[in-house]
Amino acid sequence: MRVIAHGKTDKGLVRKENEDTFCIEEDLGLLAIADGMGGHASGEVASKMAIEILKEFLEKEGQALPERLSSGIKLANRTIYEAAQSQSQLNGMGTTLTALQLDGNKLSIAHVGDSRAYLIRGGVIEQITDDHTIVSEQVARGMMTKEEAARSGMRSILSRTLGIASEVEVDMEELTVSEGDRFVLCSDGLSELISEDEILYEVHSTKRPNLACDELVNLANQRGGQDNVTVIVAHLHRENLLFRLLGILGWKRR
Amino acid sequence: MTKIILKFKDKVLKEIPVEKELITVGRKADNDIEIDNLAVSGHHARIFKMEDWFLVEDLNSLNGTFVNGKMIQESPLKNGDEILIGKHVLKFISSDVFGSKEPEAVLKKGPVSETMVIDSKVQQEMLAQISKDRSISSSGEVMGRVTILEGSTDQKEYDLTERMTSIGKESSAKIRLKGFFAPKFAAFVNRSKEGYFISSASGKELRVNGAVVLGKYRLQDGDIIQVAGIKMDFSLKE
Repeated sequence: MRVIAHGKTDKGLVRKENEDTFCIEEDLGLLAIADGMGGHASGEVASKMAIEILKEFLEKEGQALPERLSSGIKLANRTIYEAAQSQSQLNGMGTTLTALQLDGNKLSIAHVGDSRAYLIRGGVIEQITDDHTIVSEQVARGMMTKEEAARSGMRSILSRTLGIASEVEVDMEELTVSEGDRFVLCSDGLSELISEDEILYEVHSTKRPNLACDELVNLANQRGGQDNVTVIVAHLHRENLLFRLLGILGWKRR
Repeated sequence: MTKIILKFKDKVLKEIPVEKELITVGRKADNDIEIDNLAVSGHHARIFKMEDWFLVEDLNSLNGTFVNGKMIQESPLKNGDEILIGKHVLKFISSDVFGSKEPEAVLKKGPVSETMVIDSKVQQEMLAQISKDRSISSSGEVMGRVTILEGSTDQKEYDLTERMTSIGKESSAKIRLKGFFAPKFAAFVNRSKEGYFISSASGKELRVNGAVVLGKYRLQDGDIIQVAGIKMDFSLKE
């Protein structure tokens, strides 16, 4: 299986800086998104570090395994934490990190924070990460309904973040994929303003991931663009002869 | 020192010293301040410390939370403020300096649309409070299993270990349907922190315990699922 993906990030209409970072590494089968936070632009430092460290770690490690993804994220956590401790202007910086890695027909999903991943299959959209927010932890334990959660003023408060402590617990999942599956990764700047059904509609209505990304980012900005907005849309295709041939000839899909 | 005086019709019922950074108020017994009155929601409001300030937040209760007569979603508290919940009054008393100043700094950090992390101590307290209720939790330690009762599939029993389990003819479907007319995908089961949720795919009719399911349905132990000509039993085990 092979990934054709496109990503887009925008600082939105309100914030001065863009603290979101994403990466698409087709050779590694890696899609990742990070939403940083912290004063003096340190959020941007944290999210960039998270993505870079994870990417480098996986490049060195080679083959995809859920444990690898998790180890890479833990390494990123430690490095960001140490940087935040050692430099006063980076104090208190942190980031979310959500990463998918494809290996054959197995997809590993790892995340910390509230950047989401969705799977679109058979005309249905399913969120395949659980938000690490105080509010959603409460919903999970039946202390609050989903409706209450959606209106809570505290819904952006994270219960787990990279860079805040020396150790972090990473959520790991595995998933068997099939041809035609589509994935969406996004920061909360998007998921706060656009419903699951709207994401489904936009991603379904075009065969080109870049068009879906443009539409979704535009929609978020039309609705106020209060936060940085980042989205990755990925389509899975079966590796066929044509693709292999294109590979040999040195063609690169963008 | 900081305390809360619980009053009902001007009668003092209780004095509660504020020793924690998070105090929950509601009708249910798992609250720090339990008010056994039908005008009070199960989990009605919470009072918590952020930076140097105490704030009260309404947890989208049915009858609302009022501070000094004004309905609030979230509001900082100062010495002498009266929180009205149902017909009960919680008087906030604090001799600390912060309790008398205008807490502007906190207001800016109040309801936000941007990502933020709160003081890790407060966070820990909130999480500790949340996990006291672990008995309600339905996922995590438990695993879902599907047993085929009727219909043609490749196995009789399936453990739902992956994040998403597909039911269909597709080769990636864990619960693999046989037969020429079987749909590529008939339904999906999503294993989230909140439990197992089933939804139908490709417009197939999905029934749980005989009733048609529209959208997502949270599966419970013993549910009977019917879709695309198969009938199966869902169970949860430790």
